[in-house]
Amino acid sequence: MLQDVAPSPATARAGRLLGDLNVWIFVLGDLVFFGAYFVIFMVYRHQETAVFLASQRHLSLIAGALNTMVLLTSSRFVALAVQAARRGESERARRLISYGGLFGVAFVAIKAFEWAHEIGHGFTLVRNDFFMFYFMLTGVHLFHVLLGLVILVVANRELRSPERCRSWIVESGAAYWHMVDLLWVVIFALLYLVR
Amino acid sequence: MTHAQTDTASADQPVTVGAGREKLDLWICWWVLPVFYTFFGLIFVLLAHVMPPPSPELSVSQILAFFHAHGTTIKVGFALLMGVIGLGSISNGLVAYQMKRMSVRPVFAYGYIATLAVGAIPGCLFCAIFFLVAVFRPDRNPHLIALSYDTALLTFVGSLGCFLANYCVFTLAVLLDKNRVFPRWLGYMGVWQIITELLAAPVFIFKKGPFAWNGAIAFYEGTVIFVVFLTCLILQVRKAIGNQPADELVPD
Repeated sequence: MLQDVAPSPATARAGRLLGDLNVWIFVLGDLVFFGAYFVIFMVYRHQETAVFLASQRHLSLIAGALNTMVLLTSSRFVALAVQAARRGESERARRLISYGGLFGVAFVAIKAFEWAHEIGHGFTLVRNDFFMFYFMLTGVHLFHVLLGLVILVVANRELRSPERCRSWIVESGAAYWHMVDLLWVVIFALLYLVR
Repeated sequence: MTHAQTDTASADQPVTVGAGREKLDLWICWWVLPVFYTFFGLIFVLLAHVMPPPSPELSVSQILAFFHAHGTTIKVGFALLMGVIGLGSISNGLVAYQMKRMSVRPVFAYGYIATLAVGAIPGCLFCAIFFLVAVFRPDRNPHLIALSYDTALLTFVGSLGCFLANYCVFTLAVLLDKNRVFPRWLGYMGVWQIITELLAAPVFIFKKGPFAWNGAIAFYEGTVIFVVFLTCLILQVRKAIGNQPADELVPD
């Protein structure tokens, strides 16, 4: 049958790619597609610089910065979980993944609060091109966060039974979660910070 | 699973792609895939001028001029589509057949076929029918012709959400499958498709910019991702047929 590229325990001990090649294909492709969104955003920003700058002032820098901290902290927990899983400390790894997931949920809650606040003040998707990009980019990113939370639950379940535990699943989930983190840092810089 | 064991046994004696006439039926079905999508591209791009889509901002007189200029090719193109649209079902049937070889229950294969049927009606046929109405009834009220134009292109790009369940079914089946009929990365690619379907929805709201029906994100980037996915799917179906033992029985 088709070759399964998931690393075997033997290769796991040797120097190798973290996680699973399949996930890296997805992550790199996703980064390319998001890269295209960012380029398109910059092109439109260049055409309507004044509108984009004026609209940017209505975003909450505190909420954006808080969410950046929340997601970075979450990523840190997940990275520690990978190290714990490699050492065979399944219980500790599960606890760390749960903390990572809780910070992920906090990100969603802050984002929901932020959106509600902006929509409440009339800054909706159709307000202007800046808010169109704002809601679409943060919306697509939020979809990635929600998917990431599902992946963290799967990774957590995987760690539940040590005999079934496949560390590459935890590593793959972490690779995806770090990508979500990286994308948010770029989105935060482009939407909230660039003057 | 029975066929999981068969697959393992076949790993020792790999069947070369294209070898033997035992799988002639499957190879005929496989060739339908590139043939159908070549027709699809020819019709929608060169003949009907639906891809890349004309502007959502055309005035009524400009829309009449568009249909006048491309009336003949639209008629030829969509008449041809009526003849070949059924080939799409054979292509989908072949993917569903491969899904029945997976360790997941066949409900995923049935779901794959049914959800594509749901998507193909607004995502392909509505567009053809509304364009045909516009070019075959040029004496109608110009505003009704303009309405046909809007309806055709809004459904063609904006109905992509109807394919969302399809990509969820496909992705989940590939990831849960223990027989590895398709590689996991192909399943992950389904997630890209889900995202592009979501990003196409705002075409109902915006008449210009990246999220209009001819926009850089809603149309162009989505189309690039679709073509990448489709090419990979066609090649992986070919590989799956090649790896499949000729005497394998796929249960109903």
